[in-house]
Amino acid sequence: MFFNSLAFAVFLPIVFILYWFVCNKNKSYQNALLIIASYYFYSCWDWRFLFLLIFSTFLDYYTGIQIEKSSSKTARKFWFWLSIAINLGFLGVFKYYNFFADSFSQLVNGFGFKTSPLLLNVVLPVGISFYTFHGLSYVIDIYYKRIKAEYNFVDYSLFVSYFPLLVAGPIERATHLLPQVKVKRSFDYQKAKEGVFQFVWGLVKKVVIADTCATYANAIFDNYPSMNALSLVLGAVYFAFQIYGDFSGYSDMALGMSKLFGIDLLRNFNYPYFSRDIAEFWRRWHISLSSWFKDYLYIPLGGSSGGMAMKIRNTFIIFLVSGFWHGANWTFVAWGFINALYFLPLLILNRNRSNMETVGLNWNFSGIKVFFSMLTTFALTCLAWIFFRSKSIEAAYEYIVRMFSNRIFEIQYLENQRYNYEIVVLVVAFVLVEWKNRQQVEPISGKYSYLRLSLCLVAIVALGTYADYKEFIYFQF
Amino acid sequence: MKQFLIFIGKTLLILLCVVVILDVLYTSVYLQSSTRGKIEQVYNSKSQKFDVVILGSSRANNHFVTPLFEQKGLRAFNYGMSGGHLFEASLLLKLMIEKKYVIKNVVLEADLNLSNEKRDEGVSSHFLPFLHQSQTIANHFSNETDFASMYYVPFYRYVAFDAKIGFRELFNVVQQKPTTLLDNSGYYPLYKNPKANMKNDLTNLKPLKNKYFEEIKQLCKENNINFIAIMTPMCSNTKGMNYFEKVNKLYPEIHNYENVVIGDQYFSSCGHLNDAGARKFTSVVITDFF
Repeated sequence: MFFNSLAFAVFLPIVFILYWFVCNKNKSYQNALLIIASYYFYSCWDWRFLFLLIFSTFLDYYTGIQIEKSSSKTARKFWFWLSIAINLGFLGVFKYYNFFADSFSQLVNGFGFKTSPLLLNVVLPVGISFYTFHGLSYVIDIYYKRIKAEYNFVDYSLFVSYFPLLVAGPIERATHLLPQVKVKRSFDYQKAKEGVFQFVWGLVKKVVIADTCATYANAIFDNYPSMNALSLVLGAVYFAFQIYGDFSGYSDMALGMSKLFGIDLLRNFNYPYFSRDIAEFWRRWHISLSSWFKDYLYIPLGGSSGGMAMKIRNTFIIFLVSGFWHGANWTFVAWGFINALYFLPLLILNRNRSNMETVGLNWNFSGIKVFFSMLTTFALTCLAWIFFRSKSIEAAYEYIVRMFSNRIFEIQYLENQRYNYEIVVLVVAFVLVEWKNRQQVEPISGKYSYLRLSLCLVAIVALGTYADYKEFIYFQF
Repeated sequence: MKQFLIFIGKTLLILLCVVVILDVLYTSVYLQSSTRGKIEQVYNSKSQKFDVVILGSSRANNHFVTPLFEQKGLRAFNYGMSGGHLFEASLLLKLMIEKKYVIKNVVLEADLNLSNEKRDEGVSSHFLPFLHQSQTIANHFSNETDFASMYYVPFYRYVAFDAKIGFRELFNVVQQKPTTLLDNSGYYPLYKNPKANMKNDLTNLKPLKNKYFEEIKQLCKENNINFIAIMTPMCSNTKGMNYFEKVNKLYPEIHNYENVVIGDQYFSSCGHLNDAGARKFTSVVITDFF
């Protein structure tokens, strides 16, 4: 059940009505309804994996309590590592086993042996990377005594399985979400209205920008050997907007619908393509994951407290792990590595925290400088996305080589019977809307909100891509 | 909450207005279009006279060379549509009759397309802009599972088939962007294709007593049109060639011309003749029937 499906358009109002009109007496009823709705939502993907989700929830719930209750250090460590091992074990088996088995086999074959890997015929449970990280952060926080263990199983389950964030985040923290589910939510008109606006804007990003760009990006990436330089450049740009529209659109929908239930989720995107350097980009892109890695990996590894060598090592580790988190393919690792390389000069020059304030443009030299730094950052990002999107590192390499060596910048007719340049206007219009509204969460609220809402509805209905239907990219992670 | 429900009500009202206005706008534009495709051309045309009208799938579109009929002094048009099934061929003929076309002969390519009665979503979607304007189209679609949504939900059909009749196509119509679909009196020639798949397997295909074939036959009978049904050639590397015999057992009136063009040099792909092959094939058909 996708957020942009008809089934969800029926599901959401039903849950909303039951939540505010039937279960509004106390928070227990509210939470019970949300957890039932969440489990139903998840079972619509694949009911068999519901048991895995419940087991994973129970594991972290139980080990969290045991860690808190244990008086000895050894017992605390035991429960802590048990939880970590089982959580990562699930992730390893379902997401990474086949990749490692295959890579190992290829490595051994490279030395002249003949082996064929023993591969598992398993489907990746949707959202496993997201709910595993929820559980991990919870257990780690209890172990380091940052939070108290949650003794109410329904409340804890809701923290892990709350349907707006269940399958593709944002990756929530117990410190942020649990206090909200511990109290009865009262209806707030302004918040609900903002939620609707954010949901609608998320839908625009998904069906108008992401899915439309996807039809062009796919036609170019899938046929890159026959594409000219202009098409290859446009292909990378279209993919950049596809993945941004897809994932930030999903996040907006999640945040928006959650506001309908009186619950605020963590912001996941903050106009990343207006970043002036890569460090700023990573403070604005998939914020919940970046901050997760910072808090649970970078800082425990020593963070920036050691010398330059340690900083560089830790930076490379988190980017490589972040790449690997996205999928079991060397292309994602390469994508992480490239981003770490981009980060390196900023780290060495100690300029990784130099662009903290909201970007502005003036008609002077500094404005031009800012504009070009944004353009450069975007170009570097697009170059890295090529690795993310390509089927293999070789394909990404060939794509880039062809992009710079082909030198033909002509309009090209694509295999899907469209011209390569056709949606440039749409992309530029989207960028302008985002730029004008970069100080707020979405561009609908404010003056003339009904007019803006109407325009968004027109865009969704008339400009959306529906026949070439696309799944959300991040569901595969 | 009351305030929120009013807000949702207003939003839904805006949405309703948007879809109604867009539906009217899109339909009005398509009602002016007659140069982008065969369906629009027929729907937006007035009565015409034809000696020969060709119907069928791409195996009609690419196999019957209309200019050869014209050289013989016959007024002909090839209404074969790539990807189309007999569902669409039958509806197109119904529309021609509704528009009072005077047709002497219908040549129907009836072979592989006899094996299913489903509509082709891509081709049939081009009828949908006229769903509310034409009772013939509405009746033809009335047994389809998504008919209610297409008929009663404003703009639904433009969203569901956006790749064919959505904004992009609308924009092309407004711009009067030319297509090649109506060139050569509807015949679309194919040429040598080095990447073509020169094999086919028909073993799993089973010809049906096809509802739409029967409809076309009946329409021709009722309107005094001479009905010629023809099976067209396949390349040499085709498995399950007894399919054509099965068709003949079911429908002895369909002429088996599968084997009139032999040699893969005459094919662009396994199921499609190239221009040279099509000319050879059409010449035989003209000699035998006209």
